[in-house]
Amino acid sequence: MTTPIKRIAINVGAGYVPGLNTVISGAVLAANELGWEVVGIRDGFEGLLFRDRYPDRGLVSLTPQLTATLDPAGVLLGTAVRNDPFHVRTINADSLVEEVDQSEALLETLRQEGIDAVVSVVGSRGLTILYKLHRKGLKTVCIPRSTENDMAATALSFGFNSTLSDTVAMLDRAKQAAQAAHQIAVVEVLGTHAGWLALQAGMAVCADAVLIPEIPYDLPKVVAKLQVKAKAGGTYGLVVVAEGAVSAEPDTPEETAISALKAALSPLANDYEGAHVIQRSGYAAETVALQLQRLTDHETYPLVVGPWVKGGVPTAVDRQLGLGYGAAAVRALNTGQTGVMVAFQPPDLTLVPLAQAINKVRTVPANSEFIQIARSLGICLGG
Amino acid sequence: MTTSKQPTGLILNIQHFCTHDGPGIRTTVFLKGCSLRCKWCSNPESISLKPELAYKRSQCIGAKACGLCLKEPCVERAFYVVEGEDDRVHVNWDLATDCGKECADVCPTGALYMFGQEMTVDEVLAEVEQDSAFYRESGGGITLSGGECQLQADFCGALLAEAHRRGIHTAIETAFNVPWANVEKVLPHVDLVLHDHKLTDSDWHKKWTGVDNRQIMANFKRAYETFPNTQFIARTPIIPGVNDYEAHIRSTLALIRQYPNVIDYELLPYHRYGESKYEFLGKVYELKDFTSPTAESLQRLQAIIDEAFGRSGQPAEG
Ligand code: SF4
Ligand code: SF4
Repeated sequence: MTTPIKRIAINVGAGYVPGLNTVISGAVLAANELGWEVVGIRDGFEGLLFRDRYPDRGLVSLTPQLTATLDPAGVLLGTAVRNDPFHVRTINADSLVEEVDQSEALLETLRQEGIDAVVSVVGSRGLTILYKLHRKGLKTVCIPRSTENDMAATALSFGFNSTLSDTVAMLDRAKQAAQAAHQIAVVEVLGTHAGWLALQAGMAVCADAVLIPEIPYDLPKVVAKLQVKAKAGGTYGLVVVAEGAVSAEPDTPEETAISALKAALSPLANDYEGAHVIQRSGYAAETVALQLQRLTDHETYPLVVGPWVKGGVPTAVDRQLGLGYGAAAVRALNTGQTGVMVAFQPPDLTLVPLAQAINKVRTVPANSEFIQIARSLGICLGG
Repeated sequence: MTTSKQPTGLILNIQHFCTHDGPGIRTTVFLKGCSLRCKWCSNPESISLKPELAYKRSQCIGAKACGLCLKEPCVERAFYVVEGEDDRVHVNWDLATDCGKECADVCPTGALYMFGQEMTVDEVLAEVEQDSAFYRESGGGITLSGGECQLQADFCGALLAEAHRRGIHTAIETAFNVPWANVEKVLPHVDLVLHDHKLTDSDWHKKWTGVDNRQIMANFKRAYETFPNTQFIARTPIIPGVNDYEAHIRSTLALIRQYPNVIDYELLPYHRYGESKYEFLGKVYELKDFTSPTAESLQRLQAIIDEAFGRSGQPAEG
């Protein structure tokens, strides 16, 4: 028989999005109703891996009274993009830097602290880490957080709705500026694997074209769309590009050329054309803007929304979702569930085993309603 | 004579016809494993001291056509496919445990392969000596690089000793963050040591490379003194905002100019090669974007060096 839960911990093993405090509040309030104690781990698992760095030894006591004072926009506990107890960077006795597996030590610290389970707000990577910890015996329920809404098994990840709203606001501004200057703005938005953000935000502002990772783009199609608009009197353009959008044409030799020195330094350089590299932020917008400028009469300029939309005020949807996800995670633990992720499958909040949630990316299907609507609105999708 | 007792080294790559790693045309042997974590590192695949799985997605023929890695033998389920037209596999690098070559062996196209190969001294030299005509004519030889080649000190020492025995000029590229015991095994067999002076300030050294520079500084002095007949060339990779300031160059000069066997000090301007990030490195590594130094700042710093070495460069202003 499993021991009853008395004390749980919550942490954020992912990057910042607005509203993380609402998830914490949801879990604390629900746990309080069950008579459980809740502590927060600072900065992902760092608080417990490097306890000496924290005046409070990396743990914060969380009470309903405290949550009542929290700003919904903030995150009391801090975040950790790289939250991996299996590869903890350390300096050994010979002053050599190495990565050490400290997962066992982490689990032991949790036991010593009397923490019976961990609720973790995670992105796709964090999900794998928590899955591995769960396989080593950790009781855990994960909450999906993604600015790109690319986590599988849930229709809506925490943080996406706020990111979407802020992206729309940014695109509105870019559109005004492009209109005023009679130019073509090419705006890069978040989205490495999935184009939800580009597609939904681009639709909301009626962009001329939206290029997403799922549909390799053919720029002449975008040019044709812009030319039709120009003939009808349009004097500007707005093209939304997801970070991970790629051309249907294979890379030109110019783009794959690498310096001889790099070739000497890195064997990987020779096959510098595959998806094993993630282009830096801004690359997609620059590439598309440059090519559109060559192919049209208009001046074009690239803009990068990037991290600007990862902060700000959470939307009402995310505030509700945060509270709901936090509370649902506690409910799951109370019914003996572990090794699961809370998912929103409208109209229900459900649970998905971590093993089924990892190794998947929620991409935009070719027959998606959003794709069809975008096409009906005359938005060019480049393919 | 080949013996089965020869030490083996973990080799990342052997690069022929190099012209940047010492005099003449050289063959550079990259050893795997590093004891620093410089945030500007341009060859992070050399960092781990173990063989690692690598993946060239452009060579995958897709799950429908092949899909072998999705079945056996990966018990970790490290490979997966994202729904959609493109059915080439993805790798979940947090599940890929680099457990061995089996996953790489199963791949018929070489899309999955291993970084790092165990090689003996004779195997390495057999490949190096293919170029012997070139380096004998150009005054070149063999250069060991990395990573930090001195981490594999037994192998390095044996390889370089054998290279010497065969009359090959030897050089190493090193950052010197290793115990002195390693240095003692390697340096007796080295003609030219190209060594990094990354940062003078110890706290900054820790901030940017992961560890302070106390061991490194101590090794510099001891190496210069212990091996007076070995030539040393100090080098600084110039990274704007990190170490592109005069005080660093001047304090490096103040140290090295005391030793006649430190024959030069070179600046290596940082380049944003390819401007890309390697997906697989998320496991241990974060790559920060740095800009390249301007020609003016390089000239200014170079002038200080030229002056110190009594060369014709313009003396630095202010
Ligand atoms: S075995 Fe190789 S070619 Fe086959 S699906 Fe896997 S990675 Fe692709
Ligand atoms: S010493 Fe060289 S290989 Fe090692 S981390 Fe620094 S730059 Fe990379």
